[in-house]
Amino acid sequence: MAEEKKSSRSLATKAAASIPKIVRANLAATIKAKEEGKKVAYAYIMDSQDEIMRAFDIVPGWGESFAGVCAAKRDAEKYLQKAEAENFSRSLCTYATCTIGFDMCREELGGQMPEGAPWGGMGKPDMIIGSAQQLCDPRFKWPQATKHYYNDVPVFVGNAYYPQFNRNVNHHEEEPMYVKYMRDELMELVRFCEKHTGKKIDWDRLSELVDLTERTWDMFYDAYDLRKAIPTPMDTGDAMNTMVPVTFNLATQEAYDFYKNLYDELQEKIKNKQGVAKDEKYRIVWGAGLPSWFALGDFQYFNDRGAVFPVEVTYRNLEKIEHLDLPQTNDPLERIAWRWVRYYSHWFDAARKRPGSTPKVERVIEYLEDYKCDGVVYHSAFSCRSWHAGIIHQAQVLKKVYGDIPILIMEGDIVDISSYNEAETHNRIDAFIEALAAHKSKKN
Amino acid sequence: MTEQKTNGLATAAKYYRDYGSRARELKAAGKKIIGYLSALGPVEIMTAAGVVPFRLKGNASEAITQGDAYMETIVCPVVRNIFEQALRGNYEFLEGMVLPHQCDSIDRTDDVWADTLNLPYWHYLNVPHVTDDPSIEFMKQILRLLVASLEKLTGKKITDDDIAQAVKVHNENRQLMRNLYELRKSDPPLISGAEMMQVLVACMSLPVDESSALIKSVTEEVKARPAPTGPKGPRVMIIGDQIDGLGLIEAIEGSGAKLVMDDLSLGSKMYWNDVDVTPDPIQGIAERYLRKLKLPTTYVGDGDTYQENLEARFGHMTRYIKDFNVNGAILFIYKYCDPYGFDVPPMKSFIESSGTPVLYIEDEYSAASLARVKTRVEAFLEMIA
Ligand code: SF4
Ligand code: SF4
Repeated sequence: MAEEKKSSRSLATKAAASIPKIVRANLAATIKAKEEGKKVAYAYIMDSQDEIMRAFDIVPGWGESFAGVCAAKRDAEKYLQKAEAENFSRSLCTYATCTIGFDMCREELGGQMPEGAPWGGMGKPDMIIGSAQQLCDPRFKWPQATKHYYNDVPVFVGNAYYPQFNRNVNHHEEEPMYVKYMRDELMELVRFCEKHTGKKIDWDRLSELVDLTERTWDMFYDAYDLRKAIPTPMDTGDAMNTMVPVTFNLATQEAYDFYKNLYDELQEKIKNKQGVAKDEKYRIVWGAGLPSWFALGDFQYFNDRGAVFPVEVTYRNLEKIEHLDLPQTNDPLERIAWRWVRYYSHWFDAARKRPGSTPKVERVIEYLEDYKCDGVVYHSAFSCRSWHAGIIHQAQVLKKVYGDIPILIMEGDIVDISSYNEAETHNRIDAFIEALAAHKSKKN
Repeated sequence: MTEQKTNGLATAAKYYRDYGSRARELKAAGKKIIGYLSALGPVEIMTAAGVVPFRLKGNASEAITQGDAYMETIVCPVVRNIFEQALRGNYEFLEGMVLPHQCDSIDRTDDVWADTLNLPYWHYLNVPHVTDDPSIEFMKQILRLLVASLEKLTGKKITDDDIAQAVKVHNENRQLMRNLYELRKSDPPLISGAEMMQVLVACMSLPVDESSALIKSVTEEVKARPAPTGPKGPRVMIIGDQIDGLGLIEAIEGSGAKLVMDDLSLGSKMYWNDVDVTPDPIQGIAERYLRKLKLPTTYVGDGDTYQENLEARFGHMTRYIKDFNVNGAILFIYKYCDPYGFDVPPMKSFIESSGTPVLYIEDEYSAASLARVKTRVEAFLEMIA
């Protein structure tokens, strides 16, 4: 996302190249909102709250995007240090500490935008909308910690859970209670937004936004599905950019249009047999992990060696709606709840069928097969337990239930550049590519 | 048990040293031992099921030699160390485990634990992080799922009466422990921090009736022995999650301070709040674990002003400071712990604004760093002396 030209990565799609503009516009919207009489909410991705915020015309300020921009510009250190000086440990989520550091700087300036804030900075929130869901602890600790500097800004934290996978439990029996709970919590959010915007919820508009979101998920899915082509017309290096609309602009027409354009562009590339790599030799699944935003050039390093990523788990936080088998309901909140619960649980059945497997592993296996891949790369970022704890286990289970395929686990961080060593990373990639070559020749 | 009546402290020390020895005996006698992690383990329900709840602990003197092959080093160090102990076979007597959703370090390693240990029984308790009414309803359902899975394990129905009875004995157990804490209020305290740690650790390895007997016996013994004499030293409180070893405590008390109170997940957090007796006993349990237990993993948004919110989150700490006449607080937070880590600045400033100095230490779960910790503790104690 949001990468500057510092890295040598050449973007394969026009769509990806247009992303920095969208990111800038999102940030600018948080600053313009005041003039337009709109409310700004600090918000956190994948919290199932997009449609509701948009229904109230609340402008989301995404800390994860802002911190990603700071990281991509290699300009996060000043904020990380600021937070650290206030006793926020360096081992905490660096998206959070980077943004909190920025907020602290602004408060010290009496609310003025700190000079040199990357891409103009993020507007001050009128409210903070967090979610204590299973995605990660910072999703509710970060809002709470931010309030320490913005004492008067109201904070909402709701819950959005899904069943935990257990081979001996039929999760279908538990789903309805999770859906009901999530629906109740979304209703709490509606009440919070009504109170702090002074508007009443327009249920019809909310339903339309839920429709739009479902259409956007499908359009995204269909566009990404085209990456199955050989050679692949787009890889994960681009996807780390093209994830922006579905992640930060969900429930807007722009997001839908973006994926429609991407779809058209990829079809064109396939027609012209235009691949990401000059000579595509190896196809790899990006199995898990947020990338090092300051080192997206590493994707180019893979591409230059004939290795491409036609598919990734990261930031593909959706599924084709028809695969989710959603129960019929007209209640928009319940629709949101079912969609998210099933997004998580719909690999459970497959995992139960393959002895010893897990849902995350099933997902990787599906991608290995559907996208004709030869190996898997994971990235383990030290400051985020949520996506990165359990990767070793995933890799072990994958080998056990699926066979011995080349797997690389890279280590680094999302924002904190001090953890990164380019030469070492490239050596590890070289060794992995050799393993891929050996594996392929053994197979043939 | 007779031994405990006359020699509680020695018994506690023995169970601390040989952690799990009693569970091993109980297992040999046909009992089912169910391990759990964190203060969120609903012991009342396990007791009602007729199994022995057994809280797992780590061992800070032992480096991790096996666990890193299965679990990332970004997982919080106490969880990693406990996992290591389990992996080494030190908890071979476990029939299964209940893993409560406390934090990412537990949630994201549920499958690592389950698949690696491969115990006959496994239950993940998906405790919510918020406390509103829908969350209480959800928590009740989650607890009912635990009841059902334990019924399946034991082949025995767990009635509401069984649960109500377990609530009663656990409340009594908490009261007994609070009575023992009372003996820390005198100056110097009648029971040292090191002795107290051994009692707390011993108790989390025992069935509730044996735990209660042990606490009673320790209390009687401490009351009966001559009160300690000698220099008084600054009175310290320690705040953190699972600190379950003597290393840090001895570093504090070896520097001349008296550890008189804690806000630890195996100390006052476990014993300060009772379960209300409610017509549906599950209601009271849900409310205790969600609303009364003050853990940073439970989001508390209460309060009309920010100050009131801080009061709702950390007010119990300043009450302890007053009641136990504390001169300084040590915040001991594990590296990679987001829930406690994000609370450090507000918690520290809240306590300091009540006039009590705070030392914040972020550390691993390891005896290897003790020398460094000791130096910082000594400097802090000098400052507050
Ligand atoms: S998912 Fe990870 S990176 Fe994102 S906010 Fe949570 S802890 Fe931070
Ligand atoms: S110390 Fe923190 S991360 Fe570790 S188990 Fe406790 S709450 Fe979780």
